[in-house]
Amino acid sequence: MNPIINGIPVSYILGLAGILFSIGVLGVLIRRNIVIIFMSVELILNSVNLVFVTFSKALSHISGETVVFFVMAIAAAEAAVGLALVIAIFRHKKSTNVDELQSMKW
Amino acid sequence: MDEIIYMNLESSPSFLLFIFFGTVTVVTALSVIFQKNPVVSAVSLVFTFFALAGIYGIMGALFIATMQVLVYAGAIMVLVVFVLMLLSQRAETLSRYRKHPIRLVLLSVFVFGFFFLLYSALTTGVPHSDQMGKGYELTEYSFPIQGTSTVNAKGNVGVVGASTYLDYLLPFEMISILLLVAVLGAVILAKKKSTEVEQTKDNVL
Repeated sequence: MNPIINGIPVSYILGLAGILFSIGVLGVLIRRNIVIIFMSVELILNSVNLVFVTFSKALSHISGETVVFFVMAIAAAEAAVGLALVIAIFRHKKSTNVDELQSMKW
Repeated sequence: MDEIIYMNLESSPSFLLFIFFGTVTVVTALSVIFQKNPVVSAVSLVFTFFALAGIYGIMGALFIATMQVLVYAGAIMVLVVFVLMLLSQRAETLSRYRKHPIRLVLLSVFVFGFFFLLYSALTTGVPHSDQMGKGYELTEYSFPIQGTSTVNAKGNVGVVGASTYLDYLLPFEMISILLLVAVLGAVILAKKKSTEVEQTKDNVL
């Protein structure tokens, strides 16, 4: 495994991906707006993409970049379905605050 | 290991670019989750995606960088901003710090640094362009099922494309079915029910 990619140490890139993942998880936890929670999930997916590309380059194997392409397609599908759900929920509840979505609580 | 990293800290312009894009990524990602106005969060997320595309470009994954800009910063962010406008989120405390001097100074430093980096990158050319990046040296893609066939694929995009259509053909087709199902599901979910429409018409009339 090559520890340096084009002059960048692999550990630095993995650290950046970890920071990005933590920011995404923090956003999911602390925000109450459902669209911003959605954007935080996109941040998490992007940090995973960064890890895939990093290991693909460090191990000189192209499969990681191919998987990133599939992750992007899944993220696009998730965006379409998730935002349609957001619109449906907003039409039903007149709100995008996840604290007010309590009808499945018992 | 430490000596190698120290040498690269001094010599490599791509490491400097990585530091710049990494800082932009972290700052704008923090701005995504700490801004009160959702539209400002969406714009910060666009900057995060662009900075990540820059990092992919430095690492030599040119296809991924292009797809990042096209899919994430283009398609998905258009969807998100469209939904935000449709839901008409109210802007909270938008214009209170707009004319703050520290903010202006930081913004001008950021813009100046960005254009300086862009200018230096344009004048010096692509960093390490004399070396082959990792993944570039793979110009023949071997396909394991038919043992004799090798595919000549040059460059990052060609190698990724050969890997997609030879090794990952079944997942590729399944992705297309999944996208079709997702689009149909999104239309069904976001559509108003026909009974609702008729009821509102009756109420209005």
